[in-house]
Amino acid sequence: MQVDPELIGHMANPNNYGSMEEPDAIGIGENPENGEKVIIYLKVEEENGIPRIEEIRFQAIACMTTVVAGSIITKEAEKIDFPTAEELIAVTLGMLENYPPEEAACSEMVAVALKAAMDTYEAKKSDPEIPAIVYKIEQSCTPEPIPNPLETKENA
Amino acid sequence: MKTLLVRTHEAWLATLMAALMSKKTENKRVLTEFSDILWRHFTWIEHDLIVRGVDYDYDRENIPIKVERLGVLIADIVRRMNDLEMLLVRCEDEALKDRIRTDLEYMRYALGKLEDEEVTAFDMHRTYRDIELDKEATDALTLFLFEESYKEYELIMIYNYLQAHSDDAFLNRIFQILIDESFFHLRSFGEMMAEMGILGVPRVIHQSLYKVSDIEKFLLDGIEEEIAAKEQCKELSDAVASKSDELAKFFDFINYQENYHIELMRDAVEHFRKKQADG
Repeated sequence: MQVDPELIGHMANPNNYGSMEEPDAIGIGENPENGEKVIIYLKVEEENGIPRIEEIRFQAIACMTTVVAGSIITKEAEKIDFPTAEELIAVTLGMLENYPPEEAACSEMVAVALKAAMDTYEAKKSDPEIPAIVYKIEQSCTPEPIPNPLETKENA
Repeated sequence: MKTLLVRTHEAWLATLMAALMSKKTENKRVLTEFSDILWRHFTWIEHDLIVRGVDYDYDRENIPIKVERLGVLIADIVRRMNDLEMLLVRCEDEALKDRIRTDLEYMRYALGKLEDEEVTAFDMHRTYRDIELDKEATDALTLFLFEESYKEYELIMIYNYLQAHSDDAFLNRIFQILIDESFFHLRSFGEMMAEMGILGVPRVIHQSLYKVSDIEKFLLDGIEEEIAAKEQCKELSDAVASKSDELAKFFDFINYQENYHIELMRDAVEHFRKKQADG
């Protein structure tokens, strides 16, 4: 990863980081291989029947690369309507095809979490009690396998 | 009281960050002591909430710390302490209330006596002391410090939560050692970040990380993470070894400390399993 002042800024003060009180929708992007996840919280307003992201926050149970991706993507997603956000997600996922899977996985997790939050918002219109939708990522960022920690001791 | 817990959490971190960015010995000493006192307040307030059966979490607001003069952050900490004092009216434990109130009173007085100083902890120059690292090693060190400073904060909060909810003396002894060790690592990494001009407050941790339902799985995952952290320290030590014996020795030192953490966590797993088996 190229480390420059902009990247350091995202690591030190990620945009939109944290939870949100009474969000209109929550979505989760998850890596099924290692349990890492991104949670997106949205406050939404509708104009002429088109939903618009008024506020967005995220939390990451994941590495710093995912936090940087969340900081960048959620900044882009502020104050845009859902059709534009769909385009943002499509462009993001399209760009990731050129990246190694372990790097792409972090951004993919944020993009699918945003998609999950938007889909949760729409689904809540017919079922207000619906839980947060979870989408799993396709890219793999599983690190090298680590030996079973207890086996190591028993075999020592 | 829940708000008091959140605001004390924020005041503790703000004071800790001020201690890390300070370069004047006396300022650093006072701020470090005060951040430790605020941490203790935090754990006592947390205990009070548990005794009263109040559900709580470690959510908090982000804490702005980017200043050019330490005095600006000190003034913000004093403001935070004023807020804490007002929130104390909701504390029903009179002894705890008095203790915190008198601590706050003195700390505000003493903070007002500190000498102002220039802050360089955010200038991003990314050099550590007079050590000359190439770009690759500097980048690796930068990423490591951001990742691991968050990780140490996360471990402090997780083990603190587990300890606060456990009455098992064997486990609590281990949790306390791990908390103390993570405090040392957080301070060490934070000092390096401040020196390199890249200091940042660790991000808020998600509830699912400390409200653990399966302690055995949590400990086993924790052992794997410690092994991975050891490997990272080793890689970093190798990456900087040819440039700086001092840094290489430091990361080896941290790496060897992780060995003991792993053994403690294995002991905790075995104890936990035995306890479960004994019913």
